[in-house]
Amino acid sequence: MKDHKNIYLPIKAEVTEVIDESPTIKSFVLKPEHEFAFKTGQFIELTLDNIGEAPFTPSSSPLVTDEMQVTIMKTGYVTDRIHEFKGGEIVGIRGPYGRGYPLEDMFGKELLVLGGGCGFAPLRSLLYNLSAEQDKIEKLTFCYGSKTPGECIFKPYIDELRQVPKFEVLRSVDKVEEGEEWNEDVGVVTCLLDKIEVNVPNSVAVVCGPPIMMKFGTYKLLEMGFPEDKIYLSMEKNMSCGLGKCGHCMMGKYFVCKDGPVFTYEEIKDQPDIWK
Amino acid sequence: MSDFYRLTKTDWDSALRSFISHYTILAPVEEEGHIDYTPIDEEDVERITYNKPKPTTPLKTLLLPVKESLADPSSPENPWLIMGIPACDLHAKSLLDQFYLDPEYPDPFYKNRTENSIFIGTDCHGHQEHCHCTSYGFKPYPTANDDIHLVRHGTDVYVSPVTEKGEKFIEKLSGSTNLSKCDQSAIDWIESKRKETVEDLDEHNKNLPGYEKSGELINASDEEIWKEYGDDCVSCGACATICPTCTCFLLIDKPGLLKQRQVDACQYPAFEKVAAGEDPLDALHKRFSNRYMCKYVWRPERFEELACTGCGRCIEACIGGINKNELIKELANNA
Repeated sequence: MKDHKNIYLPIKAEVTEVIDESPTIKSFVLKPEHEFAFKTGQFIELTLDNIGEAPFTPSSSPLVTDEMQVTIMKTGYVTDRIHEFKGGEIVGIRGPYGRGYPLEDMFGKELLVLGGGCGFAPLRSLLYNLSAEQDKIEKLTFCYGSKTPGECIFKPYIDELRQVPKFEVLRSVDKVEEGEEWNEDVGVVTCLLDKIEVNVPNSVAVVCGPPIMMKFGTYKLLEMGFPEDKIYLSMEKNMSCGLGKCGHCMMGKYFVCKDGPVFTYEEIKDQPDIWK
Repeated sequence: MSDFYRLTKTDWDSALRSFISHYTILAPVEEEGHIDYTPIDEEDVERITYNKPKPTTPLKTLLLPVKESLADPSSPENPWLIMGIPACDLHAKSLLDQFYLDPEYPDPFYKNRTENSIFIGTDCHGHQEHCHCTSYGFKPYPTANDDIHLVRHGTDVYVSPVTEKGEKFIEKLSGSTNLSKCDQSAIDWIESKRKETVEDLDEHNKNLPGYEKSGELINASDEEIWKEYGDDCVSCGACATICPTCTCFLLIDKPGLLKQRQVDACQYPAFEKVAAGEDPLDALHKRFSNRYMCKYVWRPERFEELACTGCGRCIEACIGGINKNELIKELANNA
């Protein structure tokens, strides 16, 4: 009798480095037991043995297949435990799953990328990908918002991005704590959109961040004239199996894990609870 | 109608006894007023019920156990012979197949079980109080997804192979029994019983809106009705567990990077909750309406098979006494 591939079995990966990104966010460098390719915006299921599993979109370049990074905010049962890791631990990874960012729709266009908080993680993967293919895009404006300067992640990478000729980077924080240094904008991230020049008819927007930021970011982009099918959103739902079966990530008719996690606003605007 | 063959019930029972060493036989047996799929030993063969609606738990429970280890997807030792499957469960299998045999990610556990099973569908003669398959366009007799149709008529059993797997089984059966093609009177009897059951069901559910209409009513409803009916819901999830088409499950992590699968339900609190705290189904009435939206609005938008086969088990199982059909009729009356 035939036996079939077990889709529920992860492969092993070693945590080779842990990088502090902010007081609540760390990046984990993973070395999978064999090559692991993903497309930017796709996600993996990361298993902590006998503890639990959670979905993360790699924050590293999809052009690198022998290792990857996931950037994780300490926010729940699994993430609390992984934040205790020091390096050398073995985890499981399944995937990659879902539909990522459609690079082909971005080529020849101006890109407006709007990120908030830990939402920079999936976007960094996209930015790595687009900076490697910068000759195929017109320009890219990255607007990133965070609660405080201390919560801003990927600081060395921001410096790198600012060196990329076609890239412009703007950052804002909600507030500056006493004693913190900050010489960029203060205010919610959407305030940065008032400061930039965009040729909307030839542009594509990408938004990733906390639900409230995604909501108001999307509304602002619509106000600016972005068509609904040119706003790409990375949805965060309870993606448990990653296979379009377990039902936990349902958003109306969609299984976010399989049909997404990247959707255009047009695709999901009539589905329930998209901002929740 | 496909070809039916006749054999005596005595011969059929003998054949089943001889098959026990080659197959795991699962068939409906009545106990304390409830019929359910039961593993059959030699002494159980005569206890198998025929043509009687319907096993308390659906076929799904055999193909997707309530809890199972996802460590080893190897095939069962003996193939399964699943008997007495009503049409509602066979239609539900279409939807299960679309989920679990999805070409991109076929589930090896479900695939092994279905590939190594012979599905014997049966005509329902009569109906239970909450059966309403015909309201949704289904027939109370097999029209798809089984390998063999089987009907008992007094001291005779009529069998009809409908797939290659079914034909092979009938061939095997013909080696040990006296099998003859059914005459016209037997076919007429099968047809008259089918017609009678359809008419009974139609009459029994004459005020119930059809599937599409139900979807429109549910989609257009406001939250008051979900709060009203949801008041009696205790989030036990019995409706989803017993539903032949509900497919949701929970993955539980076990040592060795292994997983265990357990039936889950959108009726349970925190079903959709994410780590950051957002929970679209944070109120009971939202979870309650979610299941109806899923069945009647969202599933039909992406799957060809209907997500409610009218088996009525969710009504039977509800400990809050919630009657789905009464809710839909109330929506229709208020529309």
